[in-house]
Amino acid sequence: MNVKKGPYPFFAAWGDGMRRVNRAPAVLLGVWALTVLISLPLTATLRGMLRDHLGESLAADTAASGVNYDWMQEFTSQATGVGATFGPAVLGFGAVVDNLSAFIDNDRKPIVIIAAASAYIGLWIFLAGGIIDRYARDRVTDAHGFFAASGVFFFRFLRLGVLMAVAYGLLFRYLHPWLFNTIYPRLTYDLTVERTAFLIRVALYAVFGFSLAACNILFDYAKVRAVVEDRRSMLGAAAAGARFIWRNRGAAVGLYLVDVALFAIVLALYGLVAPGAGEAGWSMWLALLVGQLYVLGRLWVKLVFWASETALFQGRLAHAGYIAAPQVAWPDSPSAAALGS
Amino acid sequence: MAAVSVIASGASVASAQTAGTAVTGALDPPRSPRNASYSIDARLDPATRIITGSEVIAWRNITTKTVNDLQFHLYWNAWRNDRSTWLREAALGGSKYLNRRDADRGRIDITSVVLVAASRIDLTAARHFIQPDDGNRDDETVMAVPLPRPVAPGGSVDVEVKWTAHVPRTWARTGAIGNFFFIAQWFPKLGVLQDEGWNCHQFHAGTEFFSDYGVYDVRLTIPNGWPVGGTGVERERRDNSDGTTTDRYYQEDVHDFAWTTSPDYLERTARFENPPLPPVDMRLLIQPEHAAQAGRHFDAVRNTLKFYGEWFGAYPYGHITIVDPAYQSDADGMEYPTLFTAGTRWLVLPRVLTPESVTIHEAGHQWWYGMVGSNEFEDGLLDEGFNTFSTARVEAIYRPNNLALRYFGGFIPYVFRDIALSREIDRNRMGLYRAMPKSDLTSAPSYTFFPSRAARNAMTYAKTALWLNTLERRIGWETLQRIMSTYFSRWQFKHPKPHDFFDIVTEVARRDLGWYFDQVYRSSNVFDYGVQDLTSTAENGRFLSSAVVRRYGEAIFPVDVLVTFANGDRVTEHWDGRDRWKAYTYDRPSRVVSAVVDPNRVLLLDINYTNNSRTLAPRGREAATKWSLKWMVWLQDQLLSWAFFA
Repeated sequence: MNVKKGPYPFFAAWGDGMRRVNRAPAVLLGVWALTVLISLPLTATLRGMLRDHLGESLAADTAASGVNYDWMQEFTSQATGVGATFGPAVLGFGAVVDNLSAFIDNDRKPIVIIAAASAYIGLWIFLAGGIIDRYARDRVTDAHGFFAASGVFFFRFLRLGVLMAVAYGLLFRYLHPWLFNTIYPRLTYDLTVERTAFLIRVALYAVFGFSLAACNILFDYAKVRAVVEDRRSMLGAAAAGARFIWRNRGAAVGLYLVDVALFAIVLALYGLVAPGAGEAGWSMWLALLVGQLYVLGRLWVKLVFWASETALFQGRLAHAGYIAAPQVAWPDSPSAAALGS
Repeated sequence: MAAVSVIASGASVASAQTAGTAVTGALDPPRSPRNASYSIDARLDPATRIITGSEVIAWRNITTKTVNDLQFHLYWNAWRNDRSTWLREAALGGSKYLNRRDADRGRIDITSVVLVAASRIDLTAARHFIQPDDGNRDDETVMAVPLPRPVAPGGSVDVEVKWTAHVPRTWARTGAIGNFFFIAQWFPKLGVLQDEGWNCHQFHAGTEFFSDYGVYDVRLTIPNGWPVGGTGVERERRDNSDGTTTDRYYQEDVHDFAWTTSPDYLERTARFENPPLPPVDMRLLIQPEHAAQAGRHFDAVRNTLKFYGEWFGAYPYGHITIVDPAYQSDADGMEYPTLFTAGTRWLVLPRVLTPESVTIHEAGHQWWYGMVGSNEFEDGLLDEGFNTFSTARVEAIYRPNNLALRYFGGFIPYVFRDIALSREIDRNRMGLYRAMPKSDLTSAPSYTFFPSRAARNAMTYAKTALWLNTLERRIGWETLQRIMSTYFSRWQFKHPKPHDFFDIVTEVARRDLGWYFDQVYRSSNVFDYGVQDLTSTAENGRFLSSAVVRRYGEAIFPVDVLVTFANGDRVTEHWDGRDRWKAYTYDRPSRVVSAVVDPNRVLLLDINYTNNSRTLAPRGREAATKWSLKWMVWLQDQLLSWAFFA
C-alpha cells in the first residue's frame, strides 16, 4: 500500500472505503452472520410464543395469508418479554421508522432486547480490531490474522468501551432528558402551534444528533488510530483521534456526512421495496430475503464508515515517516506494514 | 389577527347569511321543560385571565318534591387546591395534571347570591359548600344556598348570582393557553332536582356533567376583533368604547353553555342539506395550521348529521359550531350543546381518520348527551357508550381506514397500509375493554369508577359499544335502529336512566332481553367461549368425529357452533352457552375439518376469539414462522441501531 502524502480528499477516502469493504466480502458476510446468529434465538422464542397462542386456531389462516390485526392485539395484550415487542411495527418499513424513532426519542426497551443488544455490542467490540486491521492493511489477512487482531484489540477496545459508555451514557442519561424533558417543555409551554413545536423538536434532535455524531466520530478515529498505530493507551488513542479530527476537520466532517448520506440512501431504498404482510410460503421467504438485503446494506454502511475513516487517516498520515519500520510480520501495525511495502 | 373567509365553492356550501332560513336559536314549539334558564353577562380580561360574571337563573320546580335550598355546581373549584375530590382522584388515577403552578390553577368565587322577588333577598351569607358524594371537606365544587321559603312543586324562583373566576391553564378541556380560551363549566350552574332530591354531584376526575334544560341568553365581553364561538346563535355584536366587543349568544332547549375565543381562529362556514332532514348551518373555527383540513371537518359533520339524523332523529337546532382547538390546549374532543371541539394534528394523512373520528364522535354527542340528557355523573354509558357505538357505525363508511402510529415525539404519522381497522373490533375499542374487562361494574354510578382514563373508558366507551354492537348482530340493525330511535324520540330533552333504555328494548324487540343486560350491564363477568378439542377417527370407511366446546368465562351467551367436514358439509349447532362444556359427535362419511364457536362473531365481547376455533389442518406454525421472520428483521434493525455504540 502506498502512503499518500499531502491533502487527501475525503471524497477519495469515501470511495476508497467502499472499495476496501467490497474487497473484503467475508467481513461483511461475517457481521451479517453475527447479526443473524444473535437474532435467531430470540426469533425462535417469539415463534414459539406465536405458535402457542395460535395453536390450532383458524385465526392462523388469516394470520398466515395476510394480517389478522385482532389476533395480533389479542396476542400482545397477554404477551410478556420478547412477545411484548411484537406489534404492527414489524411490518415493512414501519420497523425502521419504529426503531429510528425509539433511538432518537430514547424510548425504553424490554430487558430482553437490551440483553441481546449488549451481547451484540460486545461481539462488535471483539471484532472491531480485526475489521479495522483488515481495512487498514487492505489485503487478505486470513482468519487467523483477523481473529488475532480482534483478540489483540479486544481488551483495548473494552477499555475504550468504558470511555464510550461514559460518553454515550452522559448523552442519553443526562443530555437527552435535559433537552427533551426540560428544555423542550419549557420552550413549548405556551405554544399553540404544532408546526412550531415540531420545528423546535427538530432543532433539539439536531443538537442531540450532533452530540452523538461528535462522540461517534471521535471514537471511530480513536479505534482507527489504535489499530493503525498499534496504540495501547485508549485515552491516548482518543486524544490522538481528536487531534486528527481537529487538524482535518473539513475532511473528517465531510466524510462523516457523506457516510450518513449513504445510510440515508440505504434507508430510502428499503423504504421503496420494504415488503408488507404478504403470505406464508414463498412470499414470506422473499420478504425475508429483501429484509436481509437491507440488513446487509446497513452493515455495509457501518463498515464503510470505518473503512473510509481508516482510509482518510492513512491518506493524511502526517507522521508516517517518523514511524520505525521493523520487519513486516503480523501483528505489527498496519502503519509498519505500509512503510515496508 | 384573525382572517375571516367563507368557503365559496361547492353547491352545498353557503354561509349562514345566505341560507335562506333565519337561524335564531329559538325552537318552536319548546322541546324541553325549560325549567332552568340562564341570562348571563360575562367579561373576560385575557391579560389577567379573570372572568367577571353575573347571571339570573329562572328556575322552576318540575318535581313532586318541595325543596328548601338550591344547589350549584362550581366546577372550577376542583382546581383550587390539591385536596379537592377531583385532584385526589386524578392522583389516584395517575393523572398528568398534578403539580401545577398556582397561576395555572382555576377557581370560582361567588360574590353575591340574591333571591329576586318582589324585594331582593340577599342569600350570600348563607351559602356554604357541601360534599354529598364523599364528605371531603376540602372540596368546594358544590354550593348550597338555603332558601327563605320552600319552593313547592310547580313553584319557581329567580336567583341572581355574581362571581369572579380565574381561568385555569386548560384542565379537563376548559381554560386557556396563550391567547386561546375555551371556557366550559364556567358559571355557577344549578344541579338537577329530582323526586329523590337534588342530584348535584361533586366534580369527579372520571366523570362529566348533568343539568336541566332551559334558555341561555349570554352576553360575552371580549377584546375587539377576537372571533367568538358559543352555544347557540350570535344575535348581536356591539363594539364598546373600551376596546372590547360584547357578543350576545342565544339558544333555547339546551342544558349548558360553552364558548371560545382566540385572535388566531380562522372562520369557515358550510351548510348541511339532506332532505327531509332539516338543513344545518355549520360554522368552523379552525387553527391556521389546519386550514387545509376544513373540508374534512365539514364532511365528517355532514355524515354525522345525515346518519344520526336518519337513524335516531333529526337535529333540530339548525346550526352547529365546530371548534378546532389550539395545539396543547387539551381542549380537544369535547361536546357542548350546538358546539363541540374536534381535534386534529398538523400532519394528517389520507386513509387515516384524523380528524374525522373525533369530529364524528363529538358531533354525535349532540344526540347522546345534548338532546338525550342522561346523567353523565352516574350513567356514562348512555352518552359515551352509545355514542362510541354510533360513531363506529358512521366511521365504517370511510374506506380505506388504516392503522397509523405516530413517531418522533408523536409528530410524524406512519400508516400501516396492510392493517385495515374494523368497525366491530377497533372502532368499538375492543383493545381498551380487553385490557381491563373487569375494572368496574357498569351499573355502578360512573363517578365511582376507578378514576384512571383507561379504566373508565374501558367500561363506559368500549364495553357499552361492544354490547350494543353485539345486540345489533343478535337482533338485527333494523330492530336495534327502531329501539334507538324510539329511545331518542321518547327521551329527548329529558333525563333517562339505563332501565328506560332496557324497557324500550323489551318493548320494541318484543322479547325479554333482561338476561342479556344482566350479563353486560349488571355484571363484570367476561365472555370467553372456545373449542377445547376436535378429533376425527376413521372406522369402517366412516369417520367418528367430535368437537368439544367450552365456556371459559363466567358470562353466558347463546352461540352457534359451526362444524365443517372435509367433503364441504357444514353443520351449525345452536348452543345455549350455559354449561361449562358441550360435546358434539358425528358419524359421517367424511372427517371433520374444523369447528368454530360463534362463527359469525355475534358476541363481540368475547375477549379471546383466537381460541374460538380449532382445525385439524392448522396453519399456526406457518403463521408463526411468517410473523417471527418479520419480527426478526425488526430486531435486526433494532440491533443495528445499538451497533452505533460499538
